[in-house]
Amino acid sequence: MRIKLTSVMVDDQAKALGFYTGVLGFVTKHDIPVGEYRWITVVAPGRDDLELALEPNANPAGKAFQDAMFKQAIPIAAFETDDLAADFTRLKASGVVFTQEPMKAGPVSIAVCADTCGNLIQLYQAG
Amino acid sequence: MTGAAFRRLCVAREMLVSPAPRPASVRDVARTVGMSPFQFIRAFRAVFGETPYQVRTRARLDAARRLLALSDRSVTDVCFDVGFSSLGSFSDLFARRVGASPTAYRRRVRSGRADVAGDLQPGCLSLMAAAFAISEKRRDGD
Repeated sequence: MRIKLTSVMVDDQAKALGFYTGVLGFVTKHDIPVGEYRWITVVAPGRDDLELALEPNANPAGKAFQDAMFKQAIPIAAFETDDLAADFTRLKASGVVFTQEPMKAGPVSIAVCADTCGNLIQLYQAG
Repeated sequence: MTGAAFRRLCVAREMLVSPAPRPASVRDVARTVGMSPFQFIRAFRAVFGETPYQVRTRARLDAARRLLALSDRSVTDVCFDVGFSSLGSFSDLFARRVGASPTAYRRRVRSGRADVAGDLQPGCLSLMAAAFAISEKRRDGD
């Protein structure tokens, strides 16, 4: 058994795919229409070991959870980077809003940004 | 963005998506959170990926879908309940976004052919099962 798939809820799947690929730089792995929605997963470039599903937040229970976490400024997912400073500069230049600029937190550096789909995302770099 | 500015935008979004009999204008919402309309729309869009108008419209259409599927309110009542003021523009917009007129949508979800719960409240992993079933069927068809 292994961890292969995780998900974030998004308020609009097309907008989310644009942000997660076009801005963050992930790559589309699956994009299959299912009725009004789509089964969309993205992976890091060159990596196929972990997929992130962009899940519609149309379920009111999910939406309530997502909204509450967002309002409390709590990130819902975390992505590791090898160069937080470079990613911060690049993302900020493309208009991404950071609620936490890069800071040291013990053994890691972290930053938190809005994913434009109703979530805050934590970026972190070890060391 | 400062914590205070972030919190103000969250308050603004709540105002925009909450159903109200006399909804505040975007200008009013901006004023309430202490920003100029220009500043407000720009900051809102950067955080939420859509303008305040778009977020409000999405919330209204979602509410309309639920009412059409689950209540017996007339289409006209649904239109006004969720905050639209013109039946014509509501019906046009609904048809464009949902792919069926309000009446046709109601008929479809009630005909039993659509899975009402699944349609209104999709679960992520149930989408995966459905997606792979669909792509399998497509492959078999080739």
